[in-house]
Amino acid sequence: MADGSASTSPPSEYPHQHHRDAIKSPVHNTAASRRREQAIAIGKERREALMRAKRVCRAPLSGSDEAMVEEGDMVIDEERADLEARTAQAVEELKSALSSQGKGAQKRKIEVLRALRRLLSQSEVPPVDAAIKAGAVPLLVQYLSFGSSDEQLLEAAWCLTNIAAGEPEETKSLLPALPLLIAHLGEKSSTLVAEQCAWAIGNVAGEGAELRSKLLAQGALWPLARLMLSNKGSTARTASWALSNLIKGPDSKAANELIGIEGILNSITRNLEKADEELATEVAWVVVYLSALSDKAIRLIARSSVPQLLIGRLLASENLQLLIPVLRGLGNLVAGDGYMVDSVLIVGNSITDQALSSLIKCLKSDNRVLKKEASWAMSNIAAGSFEHKKLIFSSEATSLLIHLLMTAQFDIRREAAYTLGNLCVVPAGSANPPNIIVEHLVAIVNGGALQGFVNLVRSADIESARLGLQFLELVMRGYPDGQGPKLVEREDGIEAMERFQFHENELMRNLANGLVDKYFGEDYGLE
Amino acid sequence: MPQKPEDAMEEEAEAEAAAAAAAVTGPVLGFWLAARRRLVPDDAFFAAGDLERELLAKHVALDLSEGDRNQLEKMEVASTCTMFCPIAGCGAHLDCLEDFEDHYVTRHTASCSVCSRVYPTSRLLSIHVSEAHDSYFQAKVARGFPMYECLVEECGLKLKSYKSRQQHLIDKHQFPKSFEFFKKARPSQRQRQKSHRQTAHKGEETRDNSMDVDRKGARATNWRYRPKQHDHKESKESECQQTQAKENEMEVEQKIDELTSAVSKLSTADSTPTNVTFGHRRSRGLTFVPRSIRQNKQASSDPSGIEK
Repeated sequence: MADGSASTSPPSEYPHQHHRDAIKSPVHNTAASRRREQAIAIGKERREALMRAKRVCRAPLSGSDEAMVEEGDMVIDEERADLEARTAQAVEELKSALSSQGKGAQKRKIEVLRALRRLLSQSEVPPVDAAIKAGAVPLLVQYLSFGSSDEQLLEAAWCLTNIAAGEPEETKSLLPALPLLIAHLGEKSSTLVAEQCAWAIGNVAGEGAELRSKLLAQGALWPLARLMLSNKGSTARTASWALSNLIKGPDSKAANELIGIEGILNSITRNLEKADEELATEVAWVVVYLSALSDKAIRLIARSSVPQLLIGRLLASENLQLLIPVLRGLGNLVAGDGYMVDSVLIVGNSITDQALSSLIKCLKSDNRVLKKEASWAMSNIAAGSFEHKKLIFSSEATSLLIHLLMTAQFDIRREAAYTLGNLCVVPAGSANPPNIIVEHLVAIVNGGALQGFVNLVRSADIESARLGLQFLELVMRGYPDGQGPKLVEREDGIEAMERFQFHENELMRNLANGLVDKYFGEDYGLE
Repeated sequence: MPQKPEDAMEEEAEAEAAAAAAAVTGPVLGFWLAARRRLVPDDAFFAAGDLERELLAKHVALDLSEGDRNQLEKMEVASTCTMFCPIAGCGAHLDCLEDFEDHYVTRHTASCSVCSRVYPTSRLLSIHVSEAHDSYFQAKVARGFPMYECLVEECGLKLKSYKSRQQHLIDKHQFPKSFEFFKKARPSQRQRQKSHRQTAHKGEETRDNSMDVDRKGARATNWRYRPKQHDHKESKESECQQTQAKENEMEVEQKIDELTSAVSKLSTADSTPTNVTFGHRRSRGLTFVPRSIRQNKQASSDPSGIEK
């Protein structure tokens, strides 16, 4: 998506891909170094700020009036105090302009709105707090009143968007504006106004569950869903992003409601198939939350062409921003409903081979999110039928997973462990203890995985330790010719298990003690 | 046409053993369970991906160097795995899982230099050394002094015999009936073969091999306790001690045999494993440290000063 069109626009946090290039040649060098300094000092607050699912709008929406686009440079050399003073003053003028009458009144209103908007969008760190303290929000609500010009609505909504992109308390200050913002999403509004309002609402929804339920109660879902069907790419994208924030739960009500809206699944399908990567990304995130929260959605989506489209995107794209939600959506579908593994990913169908290839591609990637979530998805497929296990086992996934088990960070190791272990047991019947697929077990152990599992036993994380012990049980019970215990001993497995004698978790103690007693008893070592 | 494997392992004659194993390992926690695992959107599992999404969208990511990225990643991992040491009585704060191994090796591998048994605290190690390797200790016991310390540090009580200390732990500190501080070491292969051939002479066999560490290389132990020296020439003392120690070992182990059979006749209504066996582990003394120890220990001596 890289193109040179954005060189004069101010750097943007808008989800527009092409605006990203603007940052590479920053308008001011000091801007870049200041950003770098901030970036380097990654404190916890900074990380939380980075984590936020809110986005500041720094550039006019695409398709905006020429008058809105201006030679605005990032105003970053402002002294904070000066900036705040200017903000307070801008709000004052907002107030006085509100009551002005007659010719030029409308023009004045736009000017004062713009002044505030510039302060809130071009400053490195927008002076949101100052604006709120000066009383900007109630004033802006007034500027949103029905019958106002599009330009006015746009500027006011833009200001509110950036106020909502700040700290939690700052976002909450938008409460009085919500009804109007939602109202202006309607089909009577111009597309630009609706889009800007959607952005503001998306920021509010990104704050937390409480605000989400308020928005839902006030009826934000349906108009946003309608906007998602828009033919205008940026509108559809903003609406999708806002929806993903709105339905992300933890309550599943919104997700259930969304999937019930006619035309939504079709739109999702169409966009996943045809849209550019930016739009597909946001739509994929909607799929992520639908498939994570709504059983109804999983049922419908699994039976549509969406799985195939997700897999296709996963294989074809190299864009990390797209790969993450596509992978996760697939993972959620596989995890949420046996139908995916039983009826969609049938061994022998090409979709299944593609799915496996796409997951293997992620396992090979450098990116830790892709490795982790692909391992998780694969572990759920490996929990399927014997044919699935054979398919995965005989692919290059096995050696990749063993490598991950030995070398990756603990959370990836854990997922790899789940997958490898799942490959070694026959699908659960009522057999308890589970029957072992000896061929797989032997190959995986011979491939060097045992040390990885013993390391898991030593982990402070209970789940990982439990996995390690359970795998050791498989080895000691199932490795041919009774060689299991010896192999385990060779990897210092006994010592690892004995650590549990002093472990505070009684179940783990019993598990470990039981294994040591059973397999390293008095008869151990006698030929 | 793929078929079920013919060679899937099945429990045959060990059906009973399997049942016992099942009781030990348990259906809930014990066996590998291959099942789909579904996760909710706000599960910590997804945090890394969520962070990545926002970084990529906010373009600030482009200004992050490799080092910054690593730091962010580390913070993200750390925030999900910060925890406390799970070894009973410890409660030390761990920044991340990777720290646990270092912490464990440093703090929980106090090992006896005489017999290589390992204990999770230096106090327990020193109690063990006194009781198992110190002839002075045995001499005092023989003369009727109460020498066997209660294992719960704050208790302070001393008992006259191993058995009465055992009972005290059970009665007053809710230790399980199957608890055994001094466990018979796992014998070496040679020793096992010997003892199986000469079952008649079980008690009289020299047990000098019984303390052997039966594995390929000695584990690194950071902490060693040296037996007390009492006013004798070092070499004579240690030689004396060695023999005495061996004799004491034998004695104690005979006691343990008695204790074993006694305990195994007790009904254990609690959740300890039904086959409690006493001779199969190389080293560890404690099988159970109840909450009372943990709580007391935390109240008095939590090194990190952080609440659990």
